Amino acid sequence: MTIEEGVKYVAAAYAIILAVLVIYYVMSARRVATLQRDVQLLEDEAKRLKAPAGEAGAE
Amino acid sequence: MKKLLSAPALFIWASVLLIVGILLAFWYSPIDASSMGFSQKIFYYHVPIASAAFVAFGVAFVAAIAYLRTQDLKWDRLGYVGVRIGLLFSILVMATGMIWGKAAWGVWWAWEPRLTTYLLACFLYAAYWVLRSVVDEEDRRATYAAVFAIIAFIDVPITFFATRFLPEGLHPVVVGPGGGGMEGSIAVSFAICMVGMLLLMAAIIRRDYEIELIRDRVTDLKTSLGG
Repeated sequence: MTIEEGVKYVAAAYAIILAVLVIYYVMSARRVATLQRDVQLLEDEAKRLKAPAGEAGAE
Repeated sequence: MKKLLSAPALFIWASVLLIVGILLAFWYSPIDASSMGFSQKIFYYHVPIASAAFVAFGVAFVAAIAYLRTQDLKWDRLGYVGVRIGLLFSILVMATGMIWGKAAWGVWWAWEPRLTTYLLACFLYAAYWVLRSVVDEEDRRATYAAVFAIIAFIDVPITFFATRFLPEGLHPVVVGPGGGGMEGSIAVSFAICMVGMLLLMAAIIRRDYEIELIRDRVTDLKTSLGG
């Protein structure tokens, strides 16, 4: 097999590796962002519910 | 030390090694003199990815045993992540292997021992996912998944040794007795890519495990808030 013939196969293989890893990384980053936002919202909600009624009323 | 083993640090180490390894593979290691020619360059990532997939399945196997011994759901989460990352790397192994197979053997796929047993492993671990999705109760799901992960792992050594015990197949033995015979510069590039890929696998497992723990925290908070 000549270099010219081999290049397209090698390029395709490495492009697939890069693409799959980048897609997985982006999906993973989005999942983290969503979960961290959920944790923040839920922790705020938990704090609000735990706060004394008078304090909550004053706010 | 803890910082050195954090997911971001592992990502950085992995990236550096993988970039150095691939640069060496293309500019330092010679082009294969056999019929594979330039397409042999796929080997520098293909084999480390396959090894990383096996290690990830090994993590799931160890986590499954640990879960059955301790009933601690953290092990279940680690096992789940191990299977997920093992499957991710397996997809890459199959894709790059098919491309390399087309270049080297002239066919995209051959029903030979290594490929067939690897495909079987992929199906088994895909079934692990299906199993998890059909069982609702948390502890029961974790127990079934752990047992299944242990059974599925039996195929991993079979796949690894397939080329050694059944040498009539197309797939060559790469590392170990009867295989390899790598020239010095090829071995150096390959070793760097191997360490880099294993670190990348460790980084992704570590990060995804942390994500699973955050997901558990969300579930706990929702439960404590009554919804």
